[in-house]
Amino acid sequence: MGLDIRFPLGLMFLVTGGLMTVYGFFTRGSAIYQKSLGDNLNIQWGIVMFLFGALMWYLGKRQSWKNDPVNPRPWERPQYPH
Amino acid sequence: MTLTFIDWLIMLVYFVFVLGIGFTLKRYMRTSNDFFLAGRSIPAWICGLAFISANLGAQEVIGMGASGAKYGIATSHFYWIGAVPAMVFVGIFMMPFYYGSKARSVPEYLRLRFDEKTRAVNAFSFAIMTVFSSGISMYAMALLIQTLGLFHGIIPDQYIFHVSVLLSAVIVLAYIFLGGLTSAIYNEVLQFFLIVAGFAPLVWVGLKNVGGWHGIQQRLPGAMTHSWQGMTHANTNPLGVEWFGLVMGLGFVLSFGYWCTDFLVVQRAMAANSEESARRVPLIAAIPKMFFPFLVILPGLIAVSIPVAQHAAQNHLVGASTAGTSLGIIPQKVNPVSGAPMLDEKGQPVYNYDLAIPALLLHYFPSGILGLGLTALLASFMSGMAGNVTAFNTVWTYDIYQSYINKRATDAHYLMMGRIATVGGILLSIGAAYAATSFNNIMDALQLVFSFVNAPLFATFLLGMFWKRTTGHGAFSGLILGTGAALLHHGLTLPQDAAPGLHGAWIKLFRTYPSDMAQNFWTAIVAFSVNLLVTIAISLMTKPRPEPELVGLVYSLTPKPVEEHLAWWQKPASLAIAVLVLLVILNLVFA
Repeated sequence: MGLDIRFPLGLMFLVTGGLMTVYGFFTRGSAIYQKSLGDNLNIQWGIVMFLFGALMWYLGKRQSWKNDPVNPRPWERPQYPH
Repeated sequence: MTLTFIDWLIMLVYFVFVLGIGFTLKRYMRTSNDFFLAGRSIPAWICGLAFISANLGAQEVIGMGASGAKYGIATSHFYWIGAVPAMVFVGIFMMPFYYGSKARSVPEYLRLRFDEKTRAVNAFSFAIMTVFSSGISMYAMALLIQTLGLFHGIIPDQYIFHVSVLLSAVIVLAYIFLGGLTSAIYNEVLQFFLIVAGFAPLVWVGLKNVGGWHGIQQRLPGAMTHSWQGMTHANTNPLGVEWFGLVMGLGFVLSFGYWCTDFLVVQRAMAANSEESARRVPLIAAIPKMFFPFLVILPGLIAVSIPVAQHAAQNHLVGASTAGTSLGIIPQKVNPVSGAPMLDEKGQPVYNYDLAIPALLLHYFPSGILGLGLTALLASFMSGMAGNVTAFNTVWTYDIYQSYINKRATDAHYLMMGRIATVGGILLSIGAAYAATSFNNIMDALQLVFSFVNAPLFATFLLGMFWKRTTGHGAFSGLILGTGAALLHHGLTLPQDAAPGLHGAWIKLFRTYPSDMAQNFWTAIVAFSVNLLVTIAISLMTKPRPEPELVGLVYSLTPKPVEEHLAWWQKPASLAIAVLVLLVILNLVFA
């Protein structure tokens, strides 16, 4: 299949992890973290998810063109330097 | 419960990706082969994660969390005894026949191996079961959304259930309609990682709060923290079943009946890009599967270990008691009409165990990560639904429509029929969701259905694949009488403290079991044994098929898979041994 799942998976984790990290940054020290025993889970877990997303996105992007049955391969495109 | 914008945003991101995958894959769906079998082009690791994710429906996350809170770590038998050995078996021994025979579905394998009538029994019963399971997932999801008050203040309370059913139906319909099995598999992989990402921090913070596994052991009785303690007798362990019933009923009959013959999971392996990959799929799946108790059962144990004084979250749950007692953070059930806390016949409080995981999410997660946790929950429900719907549309199109209604249509017609069947499957699931009965523990209801349909089935496959003398007449008679035996056994037996009716003894009370689980396991054992004996007896009385016709379908007549080009660590058998060693270690650690 032309779409490598690691590409959307990575992107989704990048966005979600990024959102959580930014939200965690702006709410650091807030009383909402009493629930999680004082840990800012948004920043901590958000960064983990972001890094995982970046890795998956990179691996997926590197692979996704290799077996795309619809789009012309990079070497088949007119702008490809022969 | 009040959600903030960040929680909604995280949920929205997930739904955008789910639908985006469907839209992206639409252009690759050119033939029925692409739509129903994902073009047999998916790598093993993706199929492996989809293999367990398709099973991660309502019964898994909510049901296992509930059982963890109710029965303790013994619930892990559903994984360590009731899943992993069967997954190893299907990968090593059965997948060469499913994949190598070029059958497009499990019922089609039965037609190739036996005859048309055996396929028909399997196809029709399976189609009904998938619709029922999908409906249960949908029902449980809507009920949970209603209980959590997710749309409270946004939609009038009386419409929340209906809107939830409709929303989940539309989303699952959209991505399967567009991208078929590939879309379902890709979304299942997404859902797998989301579930891990949503639940891992929950377990981490929960364990930190209760003092780790050691803290749980100190707070709970020994029977809750040891999986094999008291298993010599049904009355000395929380499951109410003795080791033989557990190992034979769950570990052999039910588990092998599900993982080795259920097209819902087998379909994921059949989408793999080679026979070697297909064999590796269940083995790859077995590795995360054996660690899943730590994500779904452990939260149940944590939920009952938290000191009551520390907890205030149950007040946020609609339908949970504020006046009654709670067990850890598990709220007491309340009468939906009077609002009074519910008591059983002995005057003991009735706890709503199904809320173990949702209550834990609300207890520990602040805004932001709460959105992630809820998304993980919703993802688990949707993966359960989608798995059933893709299995349904394939069996309907190939095994019912093409076999009995329209045999000579074009491929484009069958592709269109697959899409129509997806719509039909979703509509029937909605019907099933509304018809869902009121069992306290969702898993019990599903186990009951599975024990009637799946338990006799494994005997048919076992004999069909490993005994060349088995005939179509034998297989058909065994299946019918096996299912009949399951019904009869259920109609004559009853769990302790249950009233005759849906729980059993609807013919006459002949035997009482210590628990409904024991009754289910023994129903399965009876169904399997009757099928096995009947199939053997009738096969010996009828004429077998000529051996050349059975090549590729029966073990003794099929060349063994060639593995010389694989390094030792790439061979499925090596992976299987590693999985089994890990399994033994886990059982010993938590014995």
